[in-house]
Amino acid sequence: MTDTSHRVYAVVLALAVFFVSWAAIAAKPWATAKPDPRLAAIAQREQRLRTDAKLVQQIVDRRLATYRIALKQRQAVIALRQRQADLARAAQASARAVAVSQTSVAPAVRVVNLPPLTVTRTS
Amino acid sequence: MLRHSFKAMGTDIELLLDAEPGERAERAFASAAAEFERLEQIMSRFRPDSELSRLNRDGRITGASHDLVRVVELALAARETTGGRFDPTVHDAVVAAGYDRTFEEIPSDSVSPSAAAARCGGAVRVEGLTVELEPGTRLDLGGIGKGYAADRAAELLALAGPCLVNAGGDLTVRGGSWPVGVADGLTLELTRGAIATSGRDRRRWTRAGEEMHHLIDPTTGRPAGGDLLRVTVVADSAAEAEVAAKAAFLGAEVDMPRVLVTADGRTILAGGLA
Repeated sequence: MTDTSHRVYAVVLALAVFFVSWAAIAAKPWATAKPDPRLAAIAQREQRLRTDAKLVQQIVDRRLATYRIALKQRQAVIALRQRQADLARAAQASARAVAVSQTSVAPAVRVVNLPPLTVTRTS
Repeated sequence: MLRHSFKAMGTDIELLLDAEPGERAERAFASAAAEFERLEQIMSRFRPDSELSRLNRDGRITGASHDLVRVVELALAARETTGGRFDPTVHDAVVAAGYDRTFEEIPSDSVSPSAAAARCGGAVRVEGLTVELEPGTRLDLGGIGKGYAADRAAELLALAGPCLVNAGGDLTVRGGSWPVGVADGLTLELTRGAIATSGRDRRRWTRAGEEMHHLIDPTTGRPAGGDLLRVTVVADSAAEAEVAAKAAFLGAEVDMPRVLVTADGRTILAGGLA
């Protein structure tokens, strides 16, 4: 009886050891993991895109700076032209006013019997 | 009616403003007074650092103020239109007559005779902001400068309402109607334009018994004679009225409303006044 039990245990143990070993061997723990070439390609592509993006950003920055300088110059030219136009308009208006005052606006004066508010005398 | 008085350009300045009292009126009075001071600093012949004094001293000024250039141009144009009766180059003649300092400082009666008559009519060139005088020529812009200042001050005062600026007899109005005493019992109501009076009844003194006054006849270089005591002229601007009054006093035909007071006391209205 005792021998039979020992044998059964031994067989069961042997079977267990066998399956565990088989599973361990089947998992190939000694084999090193190979990198996926698709992942490597994606990483390379990402790096290239980042580099390109930096270049594009630099170009955009340069062009924006140039544009801003040109814009300021243009705005200054526009402001100058506007000032010149304003001055020309003011001069024309002044000339018109002088012409009107010299041609059509005569002093209005008459003799009255009122107490004077002030007097004119030899200056 | 608001009234503000002060002294400037060697005379009494009176500002009348038809407005309510307040900050606006005070600001207008202040800016008008400041304008007189600014223009006196440019055109006074008694301030050694004025632009006019520099011009008279050096015979030439560059970068002159627009006001000096404008008044010199007005004076030169007046010399042309009055046939030389109004002439800004009477400076040396006025000084020779004894008016060589501010009027308040002139001794009213001096035993020393006046200097010999000085030549008038020298050439004056204006180009841009440069004014150049012929050697020996000096300018006196006293009368026309005062009229010009009255006109400029009136523009500033008018921002606060109808007004009158009286610069020692050269007066101008903006808006409103203003009764102005001209002679004994004679009042003119002015609603537009300006009035100025020139004569020999004031600003006079004696040198060695000879009566002198500030109105120089450019043809003789001496104080003007004649039957007139003073002339009052109405014109568009105080500067123009000042020129016309002086020219009329010296015998020019002036086609403007005017009042002439003769030495024997008669008052004559002319130029459409009745």
